[in-house]
Amino acid sequence: MNADYEKQLEAGISRELKRLPELAAPDSLVTRIMSVLDRRSRSPWYQRSWQTWPPALRWTSFAVLLALFAGFCVAGSEMAHSRTSQLAMRRMEEHLSGLATIGNTLEALAGSGVLVLKKFGASFLISCSVALALGCSLCLAAGTIYLRLAFAKHEKAL
Amino acid sequence: MTNAQQFEAFLRNYQNMVFSTAMRLLANQTEAEDVTQEVFLKAYQYFDRICASPTAAGWLKTVATNLSLNHLTRYRSRWSFFSELSLSGRDESRELEFPANENVEEEMDKAERCALVERALQALPAPQRVPLVLFHFEELSYDEIAEKLGVSLGKVKTDIFRGREALRRKLRLKLGSGEP
Repeated sequence: MNADYEKQLEAGISRELKRLPELAAPDSLVTRIMSVLDRRSRSPWYQRSWQTWPPALRWTSFAVLLALFAGFCVAGSEMAHSRTSQLAMRRMEEHLSGLATIGNTLEALAGSGVLVLKKFGASFLISCSVALALGCSLCLAAGTIYLRLAFAKHEKAL
Repeated sequence: MTNAQQFEAFLRNYQNMVFSTAMRLLANQTEAEDVTQEVFLKAYQYFDRICASPTAAGWLKTVATNLSLNHLTRYRSRWSFFSELSLSGRDESRELEFPANENVEEEMDKAERCALVERALQALPAPQRVPLVLFHFEELSYDEIAEKLGVSLGKVKTDIFRGREALRRKLRLKLGSGEP
């Protein structure tokens, strides 16, 4: 790209664009915006966004939320050390022990599957997949033939 | 004067500026109107602070630009992809129709010329129009545009050059030592 040409081009386009006046907004725009604002101002404070709530309500709600948060934090730390919570934790552990057994079983099954794969290799897997696909195709074919025959008989009977 | 009346006066004063900014970036009247409405609804929230501020116009322009760019962001991945693919020669297919007169510039009066430039600008594809508008109207530097659009500096320069070239062809600008 020629630098002189670029400069001339920039200046020429700039001159053309700088001459442009502002575009006139549609006449309906003011009415539209004012009606939205009017509708918003008529709606009750609790339906508006938090930033537009009256300042007193904003501060009050902020304080309430802060107090709730602090309360939850204190209650959480108290509960963690109480005897009831420790009992509850123990019960939870008992319930979860069942899940741990299931997990162990699945892990053992997966391990045995991996061992089988290692033993027989990839060719065994491929032949199994082919056999499975063939079986499915046979089932589909048999089902289709059976349906055709069944409907043919039904049509003859009619 | 009530607050609503004050705001209406403020709105009437700046609506064309905000609408122009949005319209030139978006090149779509409905979307530009929506963005203008959004800008003034935001302005209403801070009206106490900005009504008497000398930087109100700048604030409105910045918000209008940012909201328009946010609007375009939804389509940016698409348009930047097409921009990378597009060749400079392809813009000719979208060229405006002109009377077959070489001295068309001299014959046209100012209003017609402005309308023509405006149409040519809005007919540019977004990847060329947006950086061009940001450079010439918002007076942002290449670096600032690249940062704002989240694209490389090289791409901004190329897109602006292609946009200018397309405009030059559409407007039949003559470049040289004299007047274009």
